Order: sequence, then C-alpha cells, then structure tokens
Amino acid sequence: MSTQKRKSVSYSKWGYIFIIPFFVVYIFCSLIPLFSTFYNSFFENYRDGLTQIGPNFVGFENYIKLFTPNSSGNILILDYTANTMIMWLLGAIPQLIFSLLLAIIFTSARLKIKGQQFFKTVIYMPNLVMASAFAMLFFTLFSNVGPVNQLINAMGGETVDFFGNVWTARGIIAFINFLMWFGNTTILLMAGIMGIDQSLFEAASIDGANSVQVFFKITLPLLMPILVYVIITSLIGGLQMFDVPQIITAGIGKPNRSTMTLIMYLNNYLSTSKNYGMSGAISVVVFIITGILSMFVYKTMVKGDDSGKKKAKKLAAKGVK
Amino acid sequence: MKKRLLAALVASATVLSFAGCSSNTTSTSNTNSSAPADNSSVADNSSVADDSSVADDSSVADDSSAAADDTTDISKAGTGITLSESEGKVFNIYAWNEEFKGFFEKYYTVPEGVTVNWIINPSDDGVYQDKLDEALLNQASAAADDKVDMFLAEADYIVKYTNSDYTLDVSTIGVKQLDTEYQYTVSAASDNNGAIKGVSFQCCPAALIYRRSIAKEVLGTDDPAEVQAQLDNWDKFTEVAQKAKDSGYYMTGSYVETFRTFSNNTTSAWVDADNNLVIDDAIKQYIAQAKDFLDKEYTLPCGVWDDQKTAEMYKDGKVMCFFGPAWYYNFSMSNAQDPEKGCSGDWAICQGPQAYFWGGTWLLAATGTDNPEMVADIMNAFTANEDICSKLIENEGQFTNNMAVNQKYADDPTFGNAFLGGQNDTAIYVELAKNIKFENKTQYDQLLNEKLPDVFLDYFKGNISEEDAYKNFYQYVNEKYPAIVTP
Repeated sequence: MSTQKRKSVSYSKWGYIFIIPFFVVYIFCSLIPLFSTFYNSFFENYRDGLTQIGPNFVGFENYIKLFTPNSSGNILILDYTANTMIMWLLGAIPQLIFSLLLAIIFTSARLKIKGQQFFKTVIYMPNLVMASAFAMLFFTLFSNVGPVNQLINAMGGETVDFFGNVWTARGIIAFINFLMWFGNTTILLMAGIMGIDQSLFEAASIDGANSVQVFFKITLPLLMPILVYVIITSLIGGLQMFDVPQIITAGIGKPNRSTMTLIMYLNNYLSTSKNYGMSGAISVVVFIITGILSMFVYKTMVKGDDSGKKKAKKLAAKGVK
Repeated sequence: MKKRLLAALVASATVLSFAGCSSNTTSTSNTNSSAPADNSSVADNSSVADDSSVADDSSVADDSSAAADDTTDISKAGTGITLSESEGKVFNIYAWNEEFKGFFEKYYTVPEGVTVNWIINPSDDGVYQDKLDEALLNQASAAADDKVDMFLAEADYIVKYTNSDYTLDVSTIGVKQLDTEYQYTVSAASDNNGAIKGVSFQCCPAALIYRRSIAKEVLGTDDPAEVQAQLDNWDKFTEVAQKAKDSGYYMTGSYVETFRTFSNNTTSAWVDADNNLVIDDAIKQYIAQAKDFLDKEYTLPCGVWDDQKTAEMYKDGKVMCFFGPAWYYNFSMSNAQDPEKGCSGDWAICQGPQAYFWGGTWLLAATGTDNPEMVADIMNAFTANEDICSKLIENEGQFTNNMAVNQKYADDPTFGNAFLGGQNDTAIYVELAKNIKFENKTQYDQLLNEKLPDVFLDYFKGNISEEDAYKNFYQYVNEKYPAIVTP
C-alpha cells in the first residue's frame, strides 16, 4: 500500500512554488502597469505648468484625437508608425543577413575559424555602449563639420547635410541600431545553429550537398524557431526605438518629422506636461500594433513548423512512438 | 506553440511598461563649510575637488578657519552669519548650470555647520523645469533636509514660479528691498499681486559682440561708436552682412543668433488670454531674416550652442558678430578666451540693431524651506553687498544688479574689460539697462523660444514650405502643452 501511495506523490507543487517569485514580480511590475495604462488612456490628465488638470474621464476622446487627420489630411500616429517601421527594416534586414552569415561562418565545421571567442566578444561589444553615447558619436561624426564631411571635402566632394536629408538621417539611425544589435543576433543564431544535430550536416556532405544546399535545406528550416524569436524580439525592440533618434534629432524628428518614432511621439506628450491620458492612448496603440505585427510574423513564418507538429501530434494520438 | 505565442505577447506587453521609465541625469554635489557631525547625508565630498579653494576632505574640515582668513583676502567676501537654532543643516539649491555655483563658492561664506547641496540639471528641452517642478510638487511631503530651499530661474519661465504658491514672499524672511536694483528684475520676480518672490544677482542687457579685427576689415573701423552707427537698424545690419560676405566672413555664427533680439521685442506674449498661440510680428520678422541670411550664406546652419558655431570664436574664426549679454562672453565664449587658439582682447561690444535682454538668473525662495535666514542672507549678499558686487564686476566681468556699484565702474576711466580690448563694458550696459522691460512673458516661453528656430530649420534650408514649418511647430506645441490652443 505504502509504495503505491508514494507513486502518486506529486512533486509538481515545487514547480509552482519556484515560479511564484517571477509571477509576483510580473504582476506588480508588468501586468498592473499594463492595465493602468489602459485605464489612464480614458482620462484627461496632465499638468499645465504647476497646475494639475484632471484626471477627468473622457472616454475615447484621446483615441479620437490620435486618429483625427490634421489639416494636411495625415493621421500622424500612422506616419510615425511608418517612420518607425522604415527605420527598423532599414536596420533589421541587413542585420539579419549579416548575422546569419557570421553565425554560419563561425559555426562551420569546415572552416573552423580560430579565435572565435575573441570575435564573438568584439562583435558583441557595441551592444555594451550606451545608445545615447552611440548617438552622440554618430552625430559628431556625420555633422556638417565632422570627420566624415571633412573626408568628403578632402576628396573634392560637397558637404553632405546628413541630418538634413530624410534618407541619410533615417539611414544613420538604422545603421546605429544595426551596429548595436548585430552581435546579439549573431550569438542567438549561433546558438540556434549549434543546436542542430551535427549528423545532419555530415549526412548532407556525404550525400554531396554544397554549402548553399546545406544552408537552404538544413540550416534554415531547422533554425526557424530561433529565427522567429529573433525577428519578433527585434520587431518589438524596433517599435520601441527611441534613444538614438531622440538624441540625434533633438526630440523633434528632424528633418520634417521624418525620423519621429512612436515612442518619441509618446515622450513628447509625457515629458513636459505629464500628459498621461494621451501617452496612455499612444501606448495602447503601440501595444496593439506590436501584437498584430508579432502575430503576423509568427503566422507567416511558422507554417512549415506547424504542420510538422500536427503530424507529430497525429502520430502521438495513434500511439506511435 | 501556444506557449511561444504567449511569450511573444508578454514581451510585447513590456512595451507599455516603457512609459514608466524616465532618464535621470541629475547631478548632485555637496559643499561643506565645516565638518558637520551628521555627515551621513553627504554623498561625495570629492566632487568639489575641482574648486581650487577646496582641495580635498581634509582641507574641508578646517574650512571655517580658512574662511576667516579669506574674508581679509579678496576671494571670500560673504557675510558668514550665525544662524539661529531652527535653521536646517542642509541647504538645497536647484540650478541648471555651474555659473552661480562658481560665484557662490568663491564669494559667499557659508554659515558654519551647513552643507550646501547643489542639484544641477541641464535646461535643454526643459529638463531643469521638469525636475524642479517635480521637487516643488513634492515639497510638502519631503523631509526637512530634502526640501528645496532656494532655486534659480531664468527670464523664460520665472513667471511660472512667481505666480505660484511654491515661492515665498521674500520680504517676510528679511530680504532687503533696494532702490539700487533694476526695476525690471524686481517686476520679473513679483507675482500678479506685487509680492516679491526673489532677486536677481545680475542684470542682463544684451549687446552685439563683434570681432575687432574683422570689423576693421569689413567696416574700416573697430571703434564701438562707429561700428554701432553702421548697423543700428536691421536694414543696415543686412547691408553689413553682405559686406562681410564679400570679405569672406559670416555676419553671425548661427541662424538663431538674432532670435532673442526679435523675441524680446514682441508686442504680444506667446499665448493670449484665451490660451491661443500667437505668432508675433517680431517672430515672423525673425523667420524672414533667418531664411534670407541662410539663403545668402550670411550665417551658418547651426544652433546657438553648437560646437560648429563656438569653433568660430577661435582666432581663425570667420564670424564677425555674436549676440549676448555679459554672461554670454563670460560663460559661453571660452573658445575665444583660450590662451592659445583664442583671441581674447580682439572683441568689443555695441548695442546693435535693436535693444534687448537675454536670460538672467533669479534666486527664488521655495515655500517650505527650513533655511529662511540663509536664503535671505544669500539674496542680500548678491544684491546689497557692494563688496561682492564689485568682485563680480572686477573678477568675473559680470554686470550686477546693483546700480550704484555698476555706476562706480562705469564712471571709472581706468576700468576696462581685458577680453574686450580694455573697453568699459559696464558703461555701455548702464545705458542699455535703461531700455529693458520685462513684459509679454508666459510660463511656456523656454521651449517655444528654443524650439521655433529648431523646427523652422527645415524651412530655412529649403526642404519644406513655410506653411509646413508652421504646421510642425503647432504640432510640437500640441504635444508639449495640451493647454495651448494652436491655429
């Protein structure tokens, strides 16, 4: 009897106990602020100098204000979403390609690169520098009298107004983000590739597959879960882009508000007049956009993986192991 | 798969918690007058090591005796009062730069046993105001030693504080009301009912500061009176700008350089009684001039504080005119004073096309201070104490808020500012100060004044239409100040 009882003893309660600290922190630091943001977005609540206005319940007025076209017929929040996405894509696409390439080179059994640890450290390094310091550095480098323009002048070119031109300004911001994050992405992708069973690569090479075939038939499909994770986290980080453009453009999204990101927009409402109503509404919109885009990325990329899982489930249901 | 989906959602939820973050750039430093027993609140004494008189902790300890010696010396001329028992031991001053801190540490003798705590936040993008507002709003609940005792305010936003309950009527704490103070500094510090909430230690009539050598080349003279005669209105100023360009120079170093001359001569405030945004004709005049000057390359496409502009203050600089009051060349023209690359002595001042003033630092007493005696003593020291005021003129090139002392130096034929080639700048400021009026001010002025030129730069460069620049400016105002109604 006693042995039978022992068999049914469950240790799973310890599992729950161990995850309590996380959930407590999560509820207080993330979930409650999340709901309070929704709540705040329905109020008029700001400071006019030293005078507090509100909070007065205004329903959806903040959202209506956000989505009302201005006198030129533009819905600003959509413009800023576009700015943010453009700058993210400008940085994220080259970053993914570059990181993937580096990850493959570093993990390649054929190449056996020496000094891997050194390179890994070096490419990760930019991530340790503060974004604002990076922004200041590039601001100085590309200013009208900065080293880059001095070089251009020395080679006989005209001074380029990097921060006065929409695409150079966006490009520089994207480049900073690229530089800061490609090391991080490379390391994640390397971990993903190293997680793939080496025997598959060996089998492929025995079968005479070339590197391109190995990449597209083995590495990429099996890397998908990590790739999805990398893209979604990068997307979320991209939507929250703030410090670099804020510093480079003095908070006004020069030139002509073309580098104004969603969070800069939010910050403008929040920083001086503590406008919790409007910034709450923007936060909720950013939340929804992030949710939709993450879902979209997930759905489009995990299709193949999905069918594989279903097959496995079917097999499991049949009792095949 | 569900789990991963959940993870993605959770991660995106963290977007929202971003709103709670705020960067903290506060820098705090302490100065000790003696070694107080309750030193626990002092964070880091070494942070004052840059002050020549306070080398390290050990010298701080016997500072009271050193201070006694110093009073006979030139450097310390403060009053060194003994405070009553009720006074707090920690004195908190909010400021946005080191200017007043420098004068305070040099010339004011801190009463024994008091620790002075400087909380310095940069004024860029209104950060100083934000931090100060936060502290004042929490003043009532703050511990006595954490309360703001005194804070500095600038002409652009002083009305926000004087017209609030967060500042004290200083006549109640023993600040002397002097006839020697300039009337505009008094009206600026007064609330709508006439109660005086603080004092200014400087008077800030602004002038046109020009390079003598360049003026000689462009105008054929470097004599302030003759230079003034050649550019005493905007039409003449523009003509001279063309001449400067023909000789290979820039008239000004920044498209914002002349902004304060216009914004200071508006006929209406930034917002009217119904909180509508008003773009004054003077501002429109500025916009037209800046566009013209940039198109014709009379000036450079950089902001007032940009490195590119200040680099033009060196000996090999190509800029003829700068605009600013006395504090500008003392505090912001260090490149020109550089012993090697600078050109100290190659400068002079005249009134320029239009009279105006810029900035000025007012000392305001915070309601709830636990150091009213010391607040009053500091205010009196920097306005009434002729010894300190004289030192500010002689050693610091300041133009003080004490007419009697200013007049003394203005009348002194032997007095001159070496930086200005021996020109008696005080004599000129005494005249210019008569024109200053403090009017058309709102609590929103700082950001509106600073950002209008910034936002309009796209238009000045020809990237967007003037109409679009106005729209961008209105949008900026909408975001920053929900209370202002824009067209």
